[in-house]
Amino acid sequence: MTAPLQFEDVALPGLGSRITLEVPEHRAVVVTGPEASGVDALPGFALALARPAAGRVLLFGEDVANLSRRDALAFRRQVGYLPAGDGLLHNLSLRDNVALPLRYGSDFTEREIDGRIRIMLTLVKLADAPDLRPADATDEQRRRAALARALAFDPGLVILADPFDGLTTRAAAELLELARGGETETGSRRTVFMTGQSIPQLLEPRVEVRYRLAQGELVRDA
Amino acid sequence: MTAPVAALGQGVARSIALLGALARFSFLTLEAARWLPRAGRRVAFRVLLRQVWFTALQALPLILVLSSILSFLVISQAVRELGRLGATELLGRLMVIAIVRELGPLITALAVAGRSGTAIAAELATNKVMGEINALEGMGIDPLHYHVLPRFGAAILSVLGLIIMFDLVAIVSGLLAATANGMVPARYFDIVLASLALGDVWVTVTKGLLFGIIVGTIPSFQGLRVRGSPTEIPVAASQAAVGSIIAIFICSGLFVFLFA
Repeated sequence: MTAPLQFEDVALPGLGSRITLEVPEHRAVVVTGPEASGVDALPGFALALARPAAGRVLLFGEDVANLSRRDALAFRRQVGYLPAGDGLLHNLSLRDNVALPLRYGSDFTEREIDGRIRIMLTLVKLADAPDLRPADATDEQRRRAALARALAFDPGLVILADPFDGLTTRAAAELLELARGGETETGSRRTVFMTGQSIPQLLEPRVEVRYRLAQGELVRDA
Repeated sequence: MTAPVAALGQGVARSIALLGALARFSFLTLEAARWLPRAGRRVAFRVLLRQVWFTALQALPLILVLSSILSFLVISQAVRELGRLGATELLGRLMVIAIVRELGPLITALAVAGRSGTAIAAELATNKVMGEINALEGMGIDPLHYHVLPRFGAAILSVLGLIIMFDLVAIVSGLLAATANGMVPARYFDIVLASLALGDVWVTVTKGLLFGIIVGTIPSFQGLRVRGSPTEIPVAASQAAVGSIIAIFICSGLFVFLFA
């Protein structure tokens, strides 16, 4: 079976080196590396928000960078994306931020969206703070809301950029479990691809495949 | 020796490149409008309403003050001076050409460009710097659908609506000025209405549409052009205001040339 996400001989920005990497289905995969290692560019390449100088990235077997703008946007709605920082819209409440992808990209009624949002907010423990604006929320609340937004469509693949920065290990563990979406016989229900400078050591057993990117080399951790 | 010529050439080349980028941005926005998803229309409409609230309704007091003072001053002076010459019937043409057709649209568009154009550019630039635009694209939401099209529509509706309000208030304020200077109200209305032709209304409406397009497009373009540094935000706001004002004056001049 084709892996949901494949990096084929992709050139890292600012470095001469290239990497090849597969994110298998029902697995959590993390690539960590220092700031200038090019690790930050991988989520953007995965979603074709940026194009690598060489190589290609296949998302569900499709080279999204070759799609028209319209098709690429529609394709990305199959994937949950948590950008670095959180990327919440500051003029919307946390609830409206979570609702945005559903309101824009689905034919659900407002009532159905409302129900779905309530479940998502409860799952990420924001049921008591749905009307907060991002500027009034804590870092952890914002990250929780951003994850709820990424999972709003219940995607099969989730891409998380720097998901645990500034979080306690406990909060990070909760978010990782939510991203995994439960367990199946073959592994996590969702495929999870994460990048960042590091992940808390306690979470390592919950991430099946771990890579480290250093000096242009992708090394798989034992 | 050749340095000034080279610098001039570079400036011209930069301006042409900027105009090209603006044209491409406008084309992409119009093209994006064709495939706005059905559910996305509801989202865009909400953003449009919020923008109309800020651009039109919150700006209404400013426009009413500008309109009433300008009209009162011009008509007061005109009634006295034209009365001395025995040419008070020219008051109608003055009101229609100078205020309703020229100054009304021009001042309204300049006020909206200065007030809302800078706000739009600063807001979109901030969104870009904060990573919100990148996040929208990553979620499969086109920023042109979510940010630009609603502001484009709201700017057209707002500028057009405010111009109509400006002109109506200017006519009423002119009535007060004429009456205060001894003119019978019925005579004022006779003169003004006799001078107002359908062509004047069309020119005013067309200007409203065109100025609305300018105020909706240039600030959005400047706002989304920033690369990611917070220091670019005030620059984008300033360039949006300057670009919009220049474009509004050029268009206004072209109208005078075409419809004189």
